[in-house]
Amino acid sequence: MRAAIEAARSGLDVAVVSKIYPVRSHSVAAQGGINAALKAADSWEAHMFDTVKGSDYLGDQDAIEVMCREAPSDILELERMGAVFSRDSEGNIAQRPFGGAGYPRTCYLADRTGHGMLHVMYEQLVKHGVFIYDEWHVLRLIVEDGSARGVIALELDTGKLHRLHSKSVVIATGGYGRVYRTTTNALSSTGDGMGLALDAGVPLMDMEFVQFHPTVLPRTGILMTEGARGEGGFLVNSKGERFMEKYAPKVKELASRDVVSRAEQTEIEEGRGVDGCVLLDLRHLGAEKIKTRLSQIRGLAIDFAGVDPVTTPVPVKPGSHYSMGGIAVDKDCQTAVPGLFAAGESACVSVHGANRLGGNSLLETIVFGRRAGVSAAEYCKATEAKPFPDSALREACHSVAMILKRDAGESIFALKSAMNDAMEDFCGIFRNKERLAKGYGKIRELQERYKKAALGDRSDYFNNELLHYLELGQMLDISECILLGAMNREESRGSHFRTDFPKRDDVNWLRHTLVHKEGGEFRLGYRDVSVTKFKPEERKY
Amino acid sequence: MGTGLKYAYYPGCVSQHMTKETNETTRKVAAKLGIELHDMPKASCCGAGLLTDYDYPLYLAINARIFAEAEAMGMDILTICSTCLMVMSTANRDLKADPKLLAETNEVLAKSGLKYSGKVNVKQLLWVLAADYGLENLKKQVVKPLSWLKAAPFYGCHSLRPSDALGFDDPEKPWSLDAAIEALGAEPVQYRGKTKCCGFQVDIVAEKTAEKMTGKRLLEGKERGANCFVTPCPFCHINLDNYQGLAEKALDTKIGMPVFHFSQLVGLALGMTPQELGLSRHLVSPEKIIR
Amino acid sequence: MKIQFRIRRYNPNDRNAPEPYYQAYTVEVALGMTVLEALLKISEEQDSTLSFRKSCRSAICGSCAMTVNGFSRLACNLQVLPEFQKMGGMTIEPLANHRAVKDLVVDMTPFWNKMEKVNPFLMPTEKTASNAVSAEDEELIDQSQKCIMCACCNAECNALEIDERFVAPAALAKAWRFVGDVREGHGVKRLERLSEEHGMWDCVRCVHCTQYCPKGVAPLKQIERLRSAAMKAGILDNPGAKHVEAMAESVEKFGRLDEAAMTFKTLGFLKSLGKIPLGIRMELHGKMPHPYIVPQIEGIEEVREIYREAAAREKEKKKE
Repeated sequence: MRAAIEAARSGLDVAVVSKIYPVRSHSVAAQGGINAALKAADSWEAHMFDTVKGSDYLGDQDAIEVMCREAPSDILELERMGAVFSRDSEGNIAQRPFGGAGYPRTCYLADRTGHGMLHVMYEQLVKHGVFIYDEWHVLRLIVEDGSARGVIALELDTGKLHRLHSKSVVIATGGYGRVYRTTTNALSSTGDGMGLALDAGVPLMDMEFVQFHPTVLPRTGILMTEGARGEGGFLVNSKGERFMEKYAPKVKELASRDVVSRAEQTEIEEGRGVDGCVLLDLRHLGAEKIKTRLSQIRGLAIDFAGVDPVTTPVPVKPGSHYSMGGIAVDKDCQTAVPGLFAAGESACVSVHGANRLGGNSLLETIVFGRRAGVSAAEYCKATEAKPFPDSALREACHSVAMILKRDAGESIFALKSAMNDAMEDFCGIFRNKERLAKGYGKIRELQERYKKAALGDRSDYFNNELLHYLELGQMLDISECILLGAMNREESRGSHFRTDFPKRDDVNWLRHTLVHKEGGEFRLGYRDVSVTKFKPEERKY
Repeated sequence: MGTGLKYAYYPGCVSQHMTKETNETTRKVAAKLGIELHDMPKASCCGAGLLTDYDYPLYLAINARIFAEAEAMGMDILTICSTCLMVMSTANRDLKADPKLLAETNEVLAKSGLKYSGKVNVKQLLWVLAADYGLENLKKQVVKPLSWLKAAPFYGCHSLRPSDALGFDDPEKPWSLDAAIEALGAEPVQYRGKTKCCGFQVDIVAEKTAEKMTGKRLLEGKERGANCFVTPCPFCHINLDNYQGLAEKALDTKIGMPVFHFSQLVGLALGMTPQELGLSRHLVSPEKIIR
Repeated sequence: MKIQFRIRRYNPNDRNAPEPYYQAYTVEVALGMTVLEALLKISEEQDSTLSFRKSCRSAICGSCAMTVNGFSRLACNLQVLPEFQKMGGMTIEPLANHRAVKDLVVDMTPFWNKMEKVNPFLMPTEKTASNAVSAEDEELIDQSQKCIMCACCNAECNALEIDERFVAPAALAKAWRFVGDVREGHGVKRLERLSEEHGMWDCVRCVHCTQYCPKGVAPLKQIERLRSAAMKAGILDNPGAKHVEAMAESVEKFGRLDEAAMTFKTLGFLKSLGKIPLGIRMELHGKMPHPYIVPQIEGIEEVREIYREAAAREKEKKKE
């Protein structure tokens, strides 16, 4: 949406195509905030250093520099558009400390930063008259003779397929959290754009890096924010032990996300879990404190888990949270295909490297969303419109008709469930050669079964099942990319933890992983990491 | 026969004037049941929701002045108008929840030597009978069970919402009026519109909307077999009864539905005559369903 | 515990059953399960043709609003067991006041159109753009900023049920978000447009919007704020504002509501004449309110003192 606004501002005819209405996109759920060095005592260099270090030195420093330099002006631009960031007592934009940051530089809109920003984007789309094809799901990116020509999309309301002919296309479809069973991501976070790009001949980068959040409700995957631990909540195992005393004797529950996630997973795998979870115990804080300081968390536990933390410990477990990897782009958001751009979580610039810092994801969407809009607009102005291939729509119609026609096949829900199990069990927090190989075998098998799956719903109008079938196809490809990257990367870095290679290995692995898809086959490649200001050193907090 | 129940009585403007039969009936019913109603000679209009639109601090102060009078009497307020109930309860909620707001409002009241310390509760007749007095006790007082009446309970908006200010009945599954109708020997009729709006607030501002809304509610009850409507609110009563003719015209259909204010239904079961209940003042005559 | 879900099905595409009907599904419900989880379970295990919207499953994206046991709710934050125990059943239907497209999916186009009609974006002027927003300024628009555009309020709106042209609560709450913003430069123009027919004065104050908003937006409160702002901006030449003005005058004068004067002042002389046929019928039943025979309450001076004080404070606020 940020890209669309920027392109519309330069006078182009712009449309947003989205399988859900734009205000439903999952950025809406981001609570924490957005980083920018606004104060004199802070600097973009300091922000850059924190980000580089947080990325475990896999982030591209040229791109990170762009992001950190441009952050302050983008925050002010958001305010000009209408956002109202929370204020401090002097009326300036308030900033709070966040994990991994050396200075309190996270701006926020109460506890609904993403929601506030996303709705401002919607407002600006309306203001600039950007046409919204809402509930249109993109089936194909059309690339001909090496350049983008537009997309083919399915109108969910009616089941009709349409061709949308354009000079350029920007992908901003978010992450793929739903390949895992336990995830904080929306049901619609199925990584569609990454799959589309892969099919269009664009490689995905660093897909093995998946961030896990340590306190997620089982089943629903609702996030219990770090505030619960910040206020003094304990994590206990089935024996009632505060197990973090063992893993991080000093900071205990307040250790970084990856450390807590790994500790929880160890407890669960060694048989000290409770129904596959550990317990977040707040009872000792007392009803008063829970009701006043943690009222939101209490509300979530009651609404979504049916448990009142005043009287009962809340079951939690680690869940997939963020995709550091994505469509390989440069710092101008350009992919390998002219006219095709990508930004946000669906892209990999890379600014997050092996691990993302809190407050940097919203920032990435805004800075690189704007840059993608500029790049796309420049490209459009410098390029003549090229024809949309005649056969593309016919082929797409045919393939959808074939899916709907298929009789007697497996249920897509069973396949999705099997995929979730494979990824959770074999490509989760702890990885090793054996597990990953099993997971890879499973996904390959599911790829074959997918081709024969059949739908129960054959109707045209709002066919949810067809949408989920298409999403599943993308997710299987993405799973395969994650597994390939994870199997190949024989080191531990950031979120990627190999029990058989527990150390970081800068000699062999200070490089990005690329996965290409050619003729239905996946192929690995590499790209160098941009190292400018900060030489890699051990990441210690 | 004393029950020990006593209230600062706030009938509301409409019940003292346009639908004065409801006020008169309520006084008689209360006397029969041994509930003391103490007049509030100083009480002003609550603003009927309109003062809220005019100026919020003014609305709070006007209502706080009413509460101050009841507080001085040492009683809770009893009203027979749902809109008064909602308007006063909402002001009361805001004043009780925010000490700063209460203090600011008291500064305004202090100019006239008044003070409200946040101790009053606001109730309506229906709640008082359903809870304070008790429906079992009410049942014992019934001399003429209304077994032939199929009464559509019309709660109206302001005795149910906003529930965080009213805090009595359940807005999705209200029970008080249904249970009271049963206690009086009649049969409560279930229909979709029972928790919805009569349209009163826009009678003058958007009359077509109001007329169609009134008609729709009445028809929803009629289709489910109701032979009368019962409402705890005089505003709902005006729309459902007085303006039923307009509703019929707007929807081009005949409705012919008699409407009772809750106090009148109680009075009927306690053996009061149609004259005592002021039924001749209704525009849709309930004659044919009075036995 | 096994619970039966009664779900309204509709598929105009289905030649065998093109009309809406109810279908029952039995679901094994575990402690803590939400309505959305149950629906997902039905579609994954029993009937993949069931269509409904969903995304974030944490009550922030606004996708999954639907009618549960007669009232508009988000499926994702509603626990099945307490709801079932309270209502004695589990009936699920598409949102009211909106056309169903298929099953629980409704056409949201009118919702977005209404939203777009109020110009849902900040329109600062050169002068207002740089106005600093204080924490108190933010507080005024805080509730309206919480909106997730789920349409629960519009689905519950009793005025919209009758008049589909009514601007309805969601767009009104959004309008306040800008009118109430100190950086907005066209507040008065917005208020003038909102004062037109089918605008903010057509709200029937049924309080459904505020009761059923899952995010605490309190749309009715924002409507009240818009109306107050319009009156303070002197936009009085419409029935809604006149009605309120007449009320305020009546209370100041008598301490009571003067029904006859209110009709007269709201509609003016000519339109009030139109009420005469009804008036005669009402008169016959002793129901015609007679103007200016309303007795004053005791202590009317106290009421007038409150008016004076409120006016003085308002004036002071304007100076600031």
